[in-house]
Amino acid sequence: MRLLVVEDEDLLRARLVKALEDQSFVVDSASNGKTALFHATEYGYDAAIIDLGLPELDGISLIKTIRARGLLFPILILTARDNWTDKVAGLDAGADDYVVKPFQTEEIRARLNALLRRAAGFAKPTLEFAHLSLDTTAKKLRVAGKDVELTAFEYKVLEYLMLHPGKVVSKTELTEHLYEQDHDRDSNVLEVFIRRLRQKLDPDETLKPIDTIRGQGYRFNVPAKGR
Amino acid sequence: MFPPRAADDRYSMRRRLLLAFGILLVVFLGVAGYVLDRAFKQSVAAAVAERLQLQVYALVGVAEPERGGFFVPDPEEARFSQIDSGLYGFIYDAAGRELWRSASALNLVVDAAGLLDMQQLPGQTSYGELSIEGDVLAWAAYGTYWQSLDETFFFLVLETNAPSVAEIVAFRTNLYVWFGALTVLLSIAQYLLLRWGLQPLQQLAREVSAIETGAQNELQRHYPEELEGVTQNLNLLIKSERERQNRFRTTLGDLAHSLKTPLAVLSTALQEAQGAAALSEDQRQDMREQLQRMDQIVSYQLKRAVKGSQLPMARPVSVLPVMEKLSAALQKVYRDKQMQVELRCAAGVQFFGEESDLLEVAGNLLDNAFKYGHRRIRVTAAQQGKGLLLTIDDDGPGVAASDRHFVLQRGARADTAKSGQGIGLAVVVEIVSAYAGATNIQTNEWGGAAVTVRFG
Repeated sequence: MRLLVVEDEDLLRARLVKALEDQSFVVDSASNGKTALFHATEYGYDAAIIDLGLPELDGISLIKTIRARGLLFPILILTARDNWTDKVAGLDAGADDYVVKPFQTEEIRARLNALLRRAAGFAKPTLEFAHLSLDTTAKKLRVAGKDVELTAFEYKVLEYLMLHPGKVVSKTELTEHLYEQDHDRDSNVLEVFIRRLRQKLDPDETLKPIDTIRGQGYRFNVPAKGR
Repeated sequence: MFPPRAADDRYSMRRRLLLAFGILLVVFLGVAGYVLDRAFKQSVAAAVAERLQLQVYALVGVAEPERGGFFVPDPEEARFSQIDSGLYGFIYDAAGRELWRSASALNLVVDAAGLLDMQQLPGQTSYGELSIEGDVLAWAAYGTYWQSLDETFFFLVLETNAPSVAEIVAFRTNLYVWFGALTVLLSIAQYLLLRWGLQPLQQLAREVSAIETGAQNELQRHYPEELEGVTQNLNLLIKSERERQNRFRTTLGDLAHSLKTPLAVLSTALQEAQGAAALSEDQRQDMREQLQRMDQIVSYQLKRAVKGSQLPMARPVSVLPVMEKLSAALQKVYRDKQMQVELRCAAGVQFFGEESDLLEVAGNLLDNAFKYGHRRIRVTAAQQGKGLLLTIDDDGPGVAASDRHFVLQRGARADTAKSGQGIGLAVVVEIVSAYAGATNIQTNEWGGAAVTVRFG
């Protein structure tokens, strides 16, 4: 999951980025509204965290511009001014949720997960497909009621595919959303991960949850429950 | 709002002016009437005297003394010859004996002795009035020295005053009619003048109340130079007061911002240090709690300081759009809950205060309702004069009767709040009490909390 963090306070931004990277998010950051707008327009993000008090282009205007450009990724606002005037202004401008400073990073993570899940149309924190269920809070996979161990990267790939069910996800999109920019993007590595995932999800090869669309990418093809 | 002064406390300016002008009018017209009446009477009396003197001269001119009497050939004035005509002539000798009387005076009994001043010098005329059988008569007596007879005679002419009384009565009637008409005319003119003269003040009063109700921002009309100073100063005052409030809010908002970011940094730093051995878990827990407490105290005290109050210059805020905005925002935040929000608020309901205060109160209450409610929320807003009654119902677990007093206690909350508890309700109580209002919690028909706030 690729995130954009916009915060002008260097120390806070650095800590927030680190905390989110520790949660296996891919994070880009910006310290002012203009840079943030450039990032948001140029790169595809799964979600953004935007502080309302920003230099050059304030948070509310940034959110309005992002929405005016047709970008629909969920936005979480950070606000130091804990009043409803600012919260309502932010939400009205197009943000989806808010967190008041100071905050616990767990809270940010929980809110982000909820936003990502909701953006994909899931009402509950556990994504359920036939006998597969992915608990996005505990980051656990259960296949037919049994826990299945996943590596952090396998989890990231599976979560991304499950949050875009039925949609063809290109290898480029996957790498962009799951790897750091300077990471070695070897598509063979991705193929290895997909193969391992298939074995873990469907050892008997009856369900075949992940299709390979030749020349285009992958598709998670199991219909979701409770979506 | 300033309480209206008791009506009879002082005379209004209009009443003062009306009263003063009224008294002036009555005094002026009274004195003028009296003077005119007197002058007219005097002129009538003078005319009568002059007429009598002419009659006397005419009589002197034609009278011829005879032995022991006077012969007066037919006088020019016909009324001397006509009995009881109202004009009578007499001639007396120096001893007061009547020598002649006109034919008109045959029935008249005159006490000439009491009337004539025998010391009166010849050539002089004296005047007077006497009453005979209820009839008032004006008289003129003229003494003349007859050289051929070496004797002084007195010529007396009397004339009834009925015609001059009638003249005076007619004059008075006329005077009253004219003065009456004048009074009416002057009163109307005075009323109109007052209206016109006081119009700028009334306009000023109307504009001030328009500012009170928020229909306008400042005094806009041009006023006469006598009021210009006052209105300009008033505008300056209103403007500077608004600016002061805004500056105050902005400054405190900035203060909040600058305090909160370091708190956020500390808080995340603490979380990062979770694995490090330098601090024990208990110590970290303590620090977390203290940081949270500091944050809550900062929030609470800042909100207390920033919150507005019901100012006379407050502009009314339409309640429905605020509720719709809040409800839409919270629906977004609590999207998973799929809450049904029912807004019972007429379009005309207004809040007389700062919009940010209404947002804060309703925002905190609705946020609680979304947080604790299960499926539905009801927002009811009703106007009570200039006050507002706002009730927010949810179908959550409600607030236990034993806890209500505690959560509604003013100022008790921030310092004693347990970790994880918000300061929302404490802020609501603070803001509502600044508007001299009240906050109340009850249980509704769904078993959930019904929080009612009354502003003003």
